[in-house]
Amino acid sequence: MIRFEHVALGYADRPVVQDVDLEVPDGKTMVILGDSGSGKSTLLKGVLGILKPQAGQIEVNGSNVGDLEENELLAYRQRIGMVFQEGALFDSLTVGENIGFWLWEHTDWNDEKIEERIRTLLRFVGLESVIDKRPDELSGGMKRRVAIARSMAPQDPLVMLYDEPTTGLDPFTSRSICDLIRQVQSEFQVMSLVVTHDLHDAFRVGDLFSFIHDSRVILTGNREKIERSDDPFIRTFLST
Amino acid sequence: MMTLFLEKALRFFEPVGSFVLMVSRGFRFMFSRFRIGDTLIQMDRIGVGSIPIVFLASIFAGLDMALQFEVVMAPYGAKALLGKVVTTSIIRDMGPVLASLVMSARVTAGIASELGMMNSTQQIDALRVMGVDPLDRLVAPRLAAGLVMMPILSIVGDFLALLAGLGISVAVGHVPAPLFWSGVRDALTAQNLTNAFLKPLFFGFILTSIGCHYGMRTSGGAYEVGRSTTKAVVAAAVWILISNFLISKLLINIWGLSA
Ligand SMILES: Nc1ncnc2c1ncn2[C@@H]1O[C@H](COP(=O)(O)OP(=O)(O)OP(=O)(O)O)[C@@H](O)[C@H]1O
Ligand SMILES: [Mg+2]
Repeated sequence: MIRFEHVALGYADRPVVQDVDLEVPDGKTMVILGDSGSGKSTLLKGVLGILKPQAGQIEVNGSNVGDLEENELLAYRQRIGMVFQEGALFDSLTVGENIGFWLWEHTDWNDEKIEERIRTLLRFVGLESVIDKRPDELSGGMKRRVAIARSMAPQDPLVMLYDEPTTGLDPFTSRSICDLIRQVQSEFQVMSLVVTHDLHDAFRVGDLFSFIHDSRVILTGNREKIERSDDPFIRTFLST
Repeated sequence: MMTLFLEKALRFFEPVGSFVLMVSRGFRFMFSRFRIGDTLIQMDRIGVGSIPIVFLASIFAGLDMALQFEVVMAPYGAKALLGKVVTTSIIRDMGPVLASLVMSARVTAGIASELGMMNSTQQIDALRVMGVDPLDRLVAPRLAAGLVMMPILSIVGDFLALLAGLGISVAVGHVPAPLFWSGVRDALTAQNLTNAFLKPLFFGFILTSIGCHYGMRTSGGAYEVGRSTTKAVVAAAVWILISNFLISKLLINIWGLSA
């Protein structure tokens, strides 16, 4: 379970979001919606422990992320898959090296074993043929798939975080990425947090939805609750 | 009032603090966990890639210096000293400074823009999330490569400059080659050789550390990357010139004026 309790997160003294209460039950996917600059990526940085809460606490499976030491964070992050906005693949490495990066850095596996793992992951995201390509030879959708594969390299993930996984993609590719997210979810029974500002994609992948506006969470609930809301911000969001 | 002043002072010194922190942690990684593979790649890119431009610059500096000194010294009948004067000015100053300034255009700009781009595309965040310290993986190998390659390039460049100087002195100044060489040998004093080695070592550190500093602090898009790259090159050039003067002064203080 991921639980935010009265969390404030921000840079320097300025809070970007405050008083956030969220709860993602095991095996569920929560979608975070909000306009650009509202602090969606910032929330993910909180879950990753890159950013410490200025107030409140973030709890993932019983451990308080803000309290973890640097070496505990390392172990903690092994069970978290993070898919960055735009993928953030290392462009000096091949696709295969990107996916195997974590294994080369942190395990003493030999090359064959790592390559086998890379191939398994690429097969899972449907891209076995690009193993020796460089990221800049891939299309946007392929990059996101590779990023998803890379984020699952350490071991089977417990939590998956996706930062705008479909932004800038055509509707078909967006859809296939959403299907992939669902597939990861059902295969590994992970908890997921998906950040997006696309409502269609949100409803395609999510079980729960949470809206951020004016640095606060203004509504959390399932699809029904969202669609019944008469909050003006949410109504505009729904009508686009 | 006081706190406002303090805040301003802190903001002014904050880059200095983060530079010192970056460098000290970078060195710690270099000694605790040396990444030989990454360092070799950087040595190739920083050093081997710079060979043509550094050597070309050195050769022309040697040619020109011999030409000019010949003009100055011929009226005094001091041509016999040409070898010593050319060598001294090349290995003490011209060689290291010129090689490093040429390198800063290539190396500092390359590092600042590469790391800046990695930062703005979240590749550096991705490294952190994957449990790898960017200072370990990116900064330490570049610092190490700069420290190793800059002295090598500079000293080979000095040698080429001397050969070029010899060529001009013989061809234009009609100085006998053995006379020139004995001047060269006279100039290879402990103080001069210390200059020849210490300066490029220090400049190699300036080139790479300033490139890393600006690169790691870049946020934003292509525009910001371009701006911080330009700033990095200017800063590297300025610090090379300033530290050149300071090292010269320091070594003269140590050795006295014994040349
Ligand atoms: N590293 C940083 N340092 C300082 N301020 C930051 C930093 N990153 C983000 N911010 C600020 O925090 C606020 C929220 O940023 P965040 O990236 O979380 O927004 P977002 O909701 O993900 O937006 P988008 O949809 O555009 O990705 C913005 O106002 C931004 O300027
Ligand atoms: Mg974002």
